[in-house]
Amino acid sequence: MIGDRILGILLLLLAVVYGWEASQFPEPFGGAEEVGPETFPLMLSVILGLSSIYMIVKPDPDQDWPGVKTLLDLGFVLVVLFIFAALLAPLGFVISTTFMVAVLCWRLGARPLQSGLTGLGCAVVVYVLFNFVLELHLPAGILSLS
Amino acid sequence: METISYLLQGFAVALTPENLMFAAIGAMLGTLIGALPGLGPANGVAILIPLAFSLGLSPASSLILLTAVYAGAMYGGRISSILLNIPGDEPAMMTTLDGYPMAMKGKAAEALAISAIASFIGSLLATIGLIILAPILARFALQFGPAEYFALFSLAFATLGGITGKNPVKTIVAAALGLMIATVGVDITTGNQRYTYNILELYEGVDFIIAIVGLFAISELLFFIEKHIGEGAGRATLNKLNLKMKDIIEILPTSLRGSLLGFVSGVLPGAGASLGSFISYTLEKRIVGEKGNFGEGDPRGVAAPEAGNNAAANGALVPMLTLGVPGSGTTAVLLAMLISLNIQPGPMLFQQNAELVWGVIAALLVGNIMLLLLNIPMVGVFVKLLSIPPKYLMPVVTLVAAVGIYSISNSALDLYFMVGFGLLGYLLRKLDVPLVPVILGMLLGPEMERNLRHALSISDGDWRILFSSGLSIGIWIVAFLGLALPYIIGPVLRRRMERARARLEVEEEGD
Repeated sequence: MIGDRILGILLLLLAVVYGWEASQFPEPFGGAEEVGPETFPLMLSVILGLSSIYMIVKPDPDQDWPGVKTLLDLGFVLVVLFIFAALLAPLGFVISTTFMVAVLCWRLGARPLQSGLTGLGCAVVVYVLFNFVLELHLPAGILSLS
Repeated sequence: METISYLLQGFAVALTPENLMFAAIGAMLGTLIGALPGLGPANGVAILIPLAFSLGLSPASSLILLTAVYAGAMYGGRISSILLNIPGDEPAMMTTLDGYPMAMKGKAAEALAISAIASFIGSLLATIGLIILAPILARFALQFGPAEYFALFSLAFATLGGITGKNPVKTIVAAALGLMIATVGVDITTGNQRYTYNILELYEGVDFIIAIVGLFAISELLFFIEKHIGEGAGRATLNKLNLKMKDIIEILPTSLRGSLLGFVSGVLPGAGASLGSFISYTLEKRIVGEKGNFGEGDPRGVAAPEAGNNAAANGALVPMLTLGVPGSGTTAVLLAMLISLNIQPGPMLFQQNAELVWGVIAALLVGNIMLLLLNIPMVGVFVKLLSIPPKYLMPVVTLVAAVGIYSISNSALDLYFMVGFGLLGYLLRKLDVPLVPVILGMLLGPEMERNLRHALSISDGDWRILFSSGLSIGIWIVAFLGLALPYIIGPVLRRRMERARARLEVEEEGD
């Protein structure tokens, strides 16, 4: 109930902002016509607006949402993925991948040592496979030999 | 006659050593993807797209590789249904009804072999159906004008939830979100910037491949984390295969009937593979009647849904190739592949890219034979894969997805987008908002808008042009039914499918 209502309200806001922005598009070069860049977005904004009102008025029953602990876990995993993306170029593929895969294995319940080995193993295998067999270059980072 | 000469040309493309190799690799990978827990066909194909892309494969080779993966995943999905009573995806649900009881009786190898043969028959017949039907439909679709196309795209969204879908309003919401994402970027017709906020990376719009991988693969990872599913499903054992010619002949009529029904429900918008396998199974049960022991391990109860499910999967390629309108998640992902290779699907595909289309169709035939040959002797290897615990598998899958995305343009920003889409996908799935319409919206958005503007500029802004021809009115009616029917028949069908499964579980507990 509450989940659908929150989503409905957010979508309604999105529809209004999206539609309002469409109505502010500058007139295209060569003069306005019957149908312009704003026609389709305005149509979508009306459709989304009406459906989100329906969701607010008639929400479905909620699924079970995870508890605070699991939510923190999920947030942690997302942060790990963002860190992986940020470190990939500066630190290099092998180090950041070992880190990312090991942490994910560990959060899914593997023992720390096994997680680390899985991380290192697949980082090295994927790196070798990509750089030498498939010839797609992944960043070497600080482990660069040259 | 014309078709046969095209098909021969197609074989000339598919039988080059290079493409044969890609078909074999695809069939192998596909079965793997289908067999591994937590990797559906759509997910698997999505992860492989960026890789095929950055490896610089030719369009024909990429498509052959990915259609082989698609066909293989359908084969692989049945392994866990039969051995562990865990359907890999919704269409495989009906296979558990008789497949698992057969495995309990120590006939797991026979059940797997029978399902492989039935799958083969289903795919083969459906590919033949595709060969006959697709050119006819493509020729018919040449009459479509922009108004008809606009109606057709709306139809695709309306029927995407399927007859068994739950809440049509959520399908509309999902489609609208996808279409809205598609409007980001520089407008092709006028050059106006839309929703770019002067961010250079947004000028070309949001890359749908990144969105697909994020929505499917990353949200799946988050679901595994949430449910703490780290342990594998346990070891499954396999007996020695003892299949006689008589057993195969016995399931032939069943497979033929199942294939036909499956193909029809694959081609029709909104029916899809789940309905295909469900109808095949229930009809077979009715035809055989009291003589069969359905639900207790009747081989025909394995053959019918498997033939139906595979035939439907191939049938679903008909609307995707001829109209550019996919009917399922996986065909939507294949459409993404086509668009990113700069190939515009639709009726002109059969004229402009005849070699490519027929090459892919021929590759489907070749791939099927490979899959059958691969699956009967090597099923033991795939069975072992079932016991790989997700706690190691899911991180590796995430890594492969991330590497693929990164290799497209070597940009960390793409990875941030991927993770962002993963979070969005997780939240939407938690709220029962389907993801496939979002993806389809991103894919079809530009074409849909172009046709709408084209139609409206022909009529000088008169919206009645959208409902002006008999054909477009017909399409609108079907689209409306597609949204309304789930409200009327949906609950009945869903209840029946659940009841069929519940009955089985009760019997098991009674044993």
